[in-house]
Amino acid sequence: MLQLVDLTRRFGDKRAVDRVSLSIGDGEMVGVIGRSGAGKSTLLRLINRLIDPSEGKIVFDGTDVAALRGKDLRAWRARTAMIFQQFNLVNRLDVLTNVMCGRLYDIPAPRVLLKWFTPTERALAIQALDRLGMADVAMNRADALSGGQQQRVAIARALMQRPKIVLADEPIASLDPLNAKLVMDALADINRRDGITVLTNLHTLDTARAYCRRIIGMSAGRVVYDGAPAGLTDHVLRDIYGQNAHETLDERLTSTSLPTAALAALAG
Amino acid sequence: MSLDLAAERLRHPEVFRGKGWLRWLLLGAVFAYLGYLMWLFDFSRVFTDLPRVWVIVRLMLDWSGIAEWDHVELWRSMLETVAMAYLGTMLAVVFAVPLGFLGARNVIPERVFHFVTRRMFDGLRGLDQLIWALVFVRAMGLGPIAGIMAIAVAETGILAKLFAEAVENIDRKQVEGITSVGAGFIARLRFAVLPQVLPVMISQTLYSIESNSREATILGLVGAGGIGLRLSERIQINAWDQVAYVIILILVSVALIDTTSRYLRLRLIGPART
Repeated sequence: MLQLVDLTRRFGDKRAVDRVSLSIGDGEMVGVIGRSGAGKSTLLRLINRLIDPSEGKIVFDGTDVAALRGKDLRAWRARTAMIFQQFNLVNRLDVLTNVMCGRLYDIPAPRVLLKWFTPTERALAIQALDRLGMADVAMNRADALSGGQQQRVAIARALMQRPKIVLADEPIASLDPLNAKLVMDALADINRRDGITVLTNLHTLDTARAYCRRIIGMSAGRVVYDGAPAGLTDHVLRDIYGQNAHETLDERLTSTSLPTAALAALAG
Repeated sequence: MSLDLAAERLRHPEVFRGKGWLRWLLLGAVFAYLGYLMWLFDFSRVFTDLPRVWVIVRLMLDWSGIAEWDHVELWRSMLETVAMAYLGTMLAVVFAVPLGFLGARNVIPERVFHFVTRRMFDGLRGLDQLIWALVFVRAMGLGPIAGIMAIAVAETGILAKLFAEAVENIDRKQVEGITSVGAGFIARLRFAVLPQVLPVMISQTLYSIESNSREATILGLVGAGGIGLRLSERIQINAWDQVAYVIILILVSVALIDTTSRYLRLRLIGPART
């Protein structure tokens, strides 16, 4: 159980995240929606502690994560894997090494310096890649891959962390529709099969509706909606996306899902 | 269409307000100064003494005594020079890599520390290798060790500064990705920073070996070992044929090192990617 209590982050005078209180159960798949600058990205980085909170608590199974430092903080980051919009792989390393980087928290310093991985780590990494259909490019350099492939490598890296929670920050915003579907399916799969909690920011409403049973809407750093996709009425959407929601919210325009026929054509 | 010059001049006076006379005045001043300098340095000697240069050039071209030259000594000295450059540069790399990381603002975000390390690099690099060589020849005696030390010290400052700048220019996203998995300081440097700066480090090091091979020939002139010493000896005894031979030896060696390092650079880091 992950609990956020009055979580706040200020940048100067601006409250990027403003007294957010949430409770997310183990194994949930939660979508976070909202306009750019609503604080979705900051919220995820706060949970992984890439950004330090200004106020408030992050409690996981009884421990206040917001107060962790040093080795405990790194242990927490290892348990909450992060997926980024720009993939954030190390370009000049090969795919396999990028995936094995998911275990860096556990690897002692001498082995880190020598870049020496055990056969077990190698086997786990190729398994994770295989699961995402990426085993055949394991020895390629990360920057030789397409965006969709890189994002799947990033998910394999996340799996290597054996995380409790996966935080995905706009995982499909830089991808074409087919790759977006592959990546969202992969996230849904690790949520369902491994019971990993998935918290993902999404900029497309229909993706959130399709993959998440719970949706959190953010506006100006605050949570303005928390509930099932069915509860996202026009009125609620106006709260999340602002007054002009009816103009900007033609879902077909922002859609990342493909019609079934198009998918069949691509597959065949 | 007729051109009413007077009307245009009236409408846009600024277009016609040239400052020609000022330009001529400046040009005149420049030439006057040049003339004064030529008089000051007795420039006519360039013309009266030029024939002596031709004498030297002619002496350089006469290689009839080639069989009697001490080839072993010359080649050994040439290799010594290259070895000095290589050893001195590698020694510098050993110190410059850690110093480069420490001197990068994004690795140690302490303004005072950053200022002190950077000024230290400036200090090492501010003095030319030749000056360091004079100091080390006095301290450690004649020979290649003084040359190696001179190259190592000066090059440490240069490489540390370049490495630090390379580290400061890395892509932050890749570091964030590695941080997010729970990696510590060492692991972040090894897996997120080093892969990004390694190509710069390798290519800069190779270039330093090249340029130090050239510089090391000069170090010999002040007694710090190598081919430079042989060169100055032969200039002093007017053995111009051997001077020419040594110069060719140097040019060929430098060209060889250039080619090798270009080949290595390609093999190690691959052709430039976009």
